[in-house]
Amino acid sequence: MSPGRAVPMIDALERVTGRLRFAQDVSVPGMLHAAVVRSTVPHARIRRIDTSAARAVPGVVAVVTAEDLAQIPGLRPVYGPQIEDQPVLASDRVRYVGDMVALVAAESPQAAREAAAQVVVEYDPLPAVFDPVEAMRPEAPLIHELRPEEPHRGHAVYFGLRPLFGTNCCNHFRLVTGEVARGFAEADLVIEETFRVPAAQHVAMEPHAALAYWEDGRLVVISGTQTPFNTRHILAQLFGLSPDRVRVVVPPMGGSFGCKVFPRIEPQVAVLAWLTGRPVKLVLDRYEEFLTLTRHATVVRIRLGLTRDGRITAKRVKAYWSTGAYADCGPDVARKGGFGSVGPYRIPHVAVDSYCVYTNLPPAGAFRGYAVTEVVWASERMMDIAADALGLDPLTLRLRNLLGEGETFATGEQLHDVHFRECLEAVARAIEWTPERVELPDGRVRAKGVAVVMKGMTTPSRSEAEVALDRDGQLTVYASTVELGQGARTVLAQLAAEPFDLPYTAVRVVDPDTDCTPFDNRTTSSRSTYMMGNAVREAASRLAERLRSLAAERLEAAPEDLVFVPGAVCVRGAPERCLEWRTLLATLGLPELREHAVFRNEGGLDETGHGIASSHWHHGAAGAEVEVDLETGTVRVLRLHAAVYAGQVVNPLTAALQNEGSMIMGLGSALFEELVYAEGQPLTTNLSDYLVPSFCDLPDVLTHELLERPGAEVHGVGETALPPVPAAIGNAVARATGARLTELPLTPERVLRALRAARAEVQR
Amino acid sequence: MTHQIRLVVNGQIQTLTVRSDETLLETLRERLGLTSVRETCGIGICGACTVLVSGRPMSSCLLLAALADGFEVTTVEGLLGPDGSLHPVQQAFLEAQAFQCSYCTPGMILSVVALLREHPSPTDDEVKAYLAGNLCRCGSYLPILAAVRSAANRLRS
Repeated sequence: MSPGRAVPMIDALERVTGRLRFAQDVSVPGMLHAAVVRSTVPHARIRRIDTSAARAVPGVVAVVTAEDLAQIPGLRPVYGPQIEDQPVLASDRVRYVGDMVALVAAESPQAAREAAAQVVVEYDPLPAVFDPVEAMRPEAPLIHELRPEEPHRGHAVYFGLRPLFGTNCCNHFRLVTGEVARGFAEADLVIEETFRVPAAQHVAMEPHAALAYWEDGRLVVISGTQTPFNTRHILAQLFGLSPDRVRVVVPPMGGSFGCKVFPRIEPQVAVLAWLTGRPVKLVLDRYEEFLTLTRHATVVRIRLGLTRDGRITAKRVKAYWSTGAYADCGPDVARKGGFGSVGPYRIPHVAVDSYCVYTNLPPAGAFRGYAVTEVVWASERMMDIAADALGLDPLTLRLRNLLGEGETFATGEQLHDVHFRECLEAVARAIEWTPERVELPDGRVRAKGVAVVMKGMTTPSRSEAEVALDRDGQLTVYASTVELGQGARTVLAQLAAEPFDLPYTAVRVVDPDTDCTPFDNRTTSSRSTYMMGNAVREAASRLAERLRSLAAERLEAAPEDLVFVPGAVCVRGAPERCLEWRTLLATLGLPELREHAVFRNEGGLDETGHGIASSHWHHGAAGAEVEVDLETGTVRVLRLHAAVYAGQVVNPLTAALQNEGSMIMGLGSALFEELVYAEGQPLTTNLSDYLVPSFCDLPDVLTHELLERPGAEVHGVGETALPPVPAAIGNAVARATGARLTELPLTPERVLRALRAARAEVQR
Repeated sequence: MTHQIRLVVNGQIQTLTVRSDETLLETLRERLGLTSVRETCGIGICGACTVLVSGRPMSSCLLLAALADGFEVTTVEGLLGPDGSLHPVQQAFLEAQAFQCSYCTPGMILSVVALLREHPSPTDDEVKAYLAGNLCRCGSYLPILAAVRSAANRLRS
């Protein structure tokens, strides 16, 4: 069962029988249920909170406001992964509709919800701001007052955070290469355009769920989170404990897509558990999910200079990321989107300013594609606009500028194992690329579009793994990579099994538990199969080596003459000369043999955005063929293809699912996913108003490919196929209609409006 | 206010006292511990909480338990054979790797069981239309279609 084989998930049986238990399914004796009281206004001072009616609801054990948190000795009730700006509970001020104002713990979920509805909060409204560009204006109301003298203690900051003090900008990322002014002077054509991408919802099918209890002064949290160690660290800081006094256990998740990155509800259940002295569980409902975390609404301005023959001379980007009321990991999103906005092109002169901006909206954070969907929409639409202006085929324009092997990216890093051209050519072939549009007799038009993506992986970072063999002959992987449906447990089992010639199903992969699985940065940025995969591979091969040498002594053979059979080591060609693993351990008097391995990637960027942004890059491309009804503005995707560079695929089955899932999520972003607010009040609050792709939205033909190269590094494929999809579809729709499309999603209304504007332009 | 109800859940008679506002979803999860029944939207759109009520797929988040009095309810736990063997639809999902996080899988499988009872040889378009009310955010739709085709073959033979 070597890596590279298409094998079903190791826990497939539990999954089809519904026996797999998620965080929301975990119960412990004496457990209370929590509910949250949330702000109903976007920005206000809290005048008064009346909890008396709530306390009188039968079954209620505690109603907690910010004031009550003072009872917890040593509590510093504010947190955040990059900037500590989020209070456990709003004390004097609320900053968005959904901000947490009070918590209830009760004997039943029903009683908790009933009591939460009985809490009365009076507000004195403050001026609010919802658009990231407006929030940057000097007269905009300030949502936080960051001060230079206060260090940003968020521990996940591994980059130079640069807030613009006295404004709503909590991080300003800059990348400067060459001299853009010179680049534009050398250009024959300079074009400028502004692109917008709305906030979006992850809609993980399983909501956020967390359970906390205190045990002899230690905090135990069972939570569906992509970040067990970040969560442990942040909880420890919050309560003034050393990290080993906090234990985070992570059951499998029912999807996440970024919404379970960094603490979301863990601090709140932990304080409730402390104050009530009982275990407390909180499971959010869908409306609360919509208030908890979103993708950043983004405005990207691009100025692009090109020569007549289609060589890019300069690129100027200004990007504004609406990070909502709390920064979360927005500063890093602005950073990754900042260098991501350059795209995989050879551009001598580049200047990027990327601003992470507070607004009075729900916090925005990680979302599958992590900033790259937004900038690829802008950057790849711009490539088509430029091609049209120059009268060039957009595929040719891209191929003329794509970075190749050994070339240097805008950050100054040299690229290796480069496959942009291969990916783009693969999609062009698959969709039978042509820049021509086809008019059908009944007012429908067909056309094609392509887009290419370059996405980084968290750098620097570290993954540790342990592989152990116990007295029963059981091989176990201890790793903190979480299982969220991507099949991590399966892939790690395959890699651990390989040196032992063992079926992957014989390997046990334990759930992440900070008490017994070693450190890992987090399960994000499509890093786990590569980073943790390498750590597991190393630990397993060391263990196999050790086992072989211990057995060699007893079998009186050279270690290189030994082979593994399931559960035993044998002398090659002498099947009678075997030693069972458990016999070996018993003979040695050892409870287990365990090996530990660490895998790191190194890099980082300096003040001007130069250095190593990513230790290796994800490459991909997408192509689409669409049919647009010019009368209704309806877009039908006929064909969608993606090509993703994978280096080497560990499990073709789960890798294919990652690609297809990314593409279908991209289809939603392209055509209908959009969170809408009116003066900060959410208008899209559940799946009735926020649409995600169903069976009926599938393109007629959806295909994809994973490009491999013998001996190459493994590349994660969790996200790469998502970012190019909206841009490929948008380019196809723009080609079909001749309309100026700059804003996602491509709803019929928006397409019709753009069509009308294009017709008015022609008449003028 | 509470109500005495009698349900046949996965072949077993259950006599229960439920609240007036209690959904069948809550009854199955909280009183009977059937955690394969899962809530996503709570408003009958996503299909994650689908159960079979007298053989018909229904969103258990929308059905008040008191109104289900006297009905037969099947959850994915009730699909297993007496020897614990998988239902052909479960087997087909497993072999086609027709899931990622699998949160939606029990509801999806129950909808497919109902679909194949109504239409033993559905076309892909019929399958898509029937399953439009079962969302899979991981986007495992293509292998699910393959699993439905293979389960249909299995159930016909």
